[in-house]
Amino acid sequence: MGEQAAVGTRWVQLVAALSFAALTVVSFSKLPMPIRGARGDLFIPRPEVARIASLGFEALVADYYWLQAVQIVGGAQNPTRYAPLIGGLIDVVTTLNPWVGHPYRFAAVWLIDSPESVRQANRLLERAIEHHPEDWRHYFYLGFNQFFYLEDNEAAAAVLERAIELRGAPLYLKRLVARLKVQADGLETGATFLRELIATTRSRKARAKYERALDEIETERRARWLDQAREDYRERFGRDIETIGDLVRGPDPVREALPPEPHGWEWILKGKKRRLVSSYYGHRYEPQFHRTERKRRKHWRAELLEREGSGR
Amino acid sequence: MGALIRIYTLAGNTLREVIRNRILYVLLCFAIVLIATGVVLSALSYVEQERILQDVGLGSIRLFGTVIAIFLGVGVLHKEVDRRTIYTILSKPISRSEFVLGKYLGLTATIWLQLLIMSAAFALISWLAHAPLGTGHAAALLLSGLEMSLMVAVATLFSAFTTPMLASFFTAGIWVVGHLTRDLRQLASHSDVSAVRELAVWIHRLLPDLESFNVSIQAVHGLPIEGSEVTLPIAYGIGYASLVLILAIVLFERRDFR
Repeated sequence: MGEQAAVGTRWVQLVAALSFAALTVVSFSKLPMPIRGARGDLFIPRPEVARIASLGFEALVADYYWLQAVQIVGGAQNPTRYAPLIGGLIDVVTTLNPWVGHPYRFAAVWLIDSPESVRQANRLLERAIEHHPEDWRHYFYLGFNQFFYLEDNEAAAAVLERAIELRGAPLYLKRLVARLKVQADGLETGATFLRELIATTRSRKARAKYERALDEIETERRARWLDQAREDYRERFGRDIETIGDLVRGPDPVREALPPEPHGWEWILKGKKRRLVSSYYGHRYEPQFHRTERKRRKHWRAELLEREGSGR
Repeated sequence: MGALIRIYTLAGNTLREVIRNRILYVLLCFAIVLIATGVVLSALSYVEQERILQDVGLGSIRLFGTVIAIFLGVGVLHKEVDRRTIYTILSKPISRSEFVLGKYLGLTATIWLQLLIMSAAFALISWLAHAPLGTGHAAALLLSGLEMSLMVAVATLFSAFTTPMLASFFTAGIWVVGHLTRDLRQLASHSDVSAVRELAVWIHRLLPDLESFNVSIQAVHGLPIEGSEVTLPIAYGIGYASLVLILAIVLFERRDFR
């Protein structure tokens, strides 16, 4: 009798165990698992509080928040929507462990939804530079943000100039600095900078590229002279020129002669905007953007204007 | 010389007794599993995986090392009193100070042994993951061991006059505050009240500055660790642990077991 009861109890235990196992497996497989950050219920502590509360485990806590940031970007269709969240997380990460490298650049890539976000990314990049003064990439991202989003060419040139002599810095950085200096401080500043580079570089290849940039500045100088003449023409005749030759044609020309294109090519009016350029270079001496970058910048500005308009 | 032999014998016996404790192995297994978990966690990040792996590894070692130190330390003297084996031991020509020192050294040896095992697991996982290992890691582990030894001393002190439950609360409290004293001092330095500033300075001076044993971030990032960042904490740790042990001995000698 006792043995039968024991067998019965074992059966009950087995059935109960299997039932609860089934319940656990089924409910677990159906558990909703949204990304906490994307759901908006991710608590981000103040960086200083997080540092104190981590009790010597700063690196571990920083890793936890870094993985949260990665999950948000990885799981979102439009990660820039979560820029404030990402910014908060990366601020915590880099306060707890300022020697991390990639999170700073990660912030620079994703904190672009508004000028405030870009400024926050810049503050983080400045922290990166403080802890990794030999890494050119952080200067590059900071400089890029300055000229691409905030349109502060002078600040961008100042930041990038600090990076150009660092190990691993690409050669084009120097020429980019020259272009930015031209935009910020005028042609002569850019030309002086390039002349200094030519005088100090030992690489023939690099020197050739700087000489070409200097040549572009000379072309730009003449193009700007022509821009001024074109402006005078507009003022005098109330309309734009049809061809460059209009500047010296007619009974009352705005200029007596056109400056020759330095390479023996010609001055043309390019594209829908009829921008005056040398046919040799096909563009003006300024930071050049890829078509997609140009579109992105345009889109960014349009969104900003819309947001400002709607008062958000 | 005789005293040293007696302390050595007591330490050896304590080590043998402790390593028979199954809970120690459970904790050690948990620690090794957590160190290995670093591989999974680092895979969640698409960059700096070696860093995350080693952050988790060193963090686990420090966390579990401290838990084991507290767990072992708080019961060290109480167990002997509770089981009344203290009467047998003290009836022999062994002084109470020798008893406390022997117990402490036995526990510290256990702590260093488990640190060695966890470090080997950490090194193996780092090696398999091609994560760099250098002298910085050795320094971080050495200082972690010292922090744990200090915590064993603190736990021994509390074990000398109170129950294991209270001793574990007090020791854990000291560990938490020990990691905050620097920040507390820094925060209080901005206070307008001079008494607050002074109090924070004295708290920092009196309680163990456990952050001085933490060079994990420097180790993982391959940042230079000055010689003084290792030697001074070693000297500080030895000095502080010795003072705590002297206090434990004084309290234990005054204790009445009748």
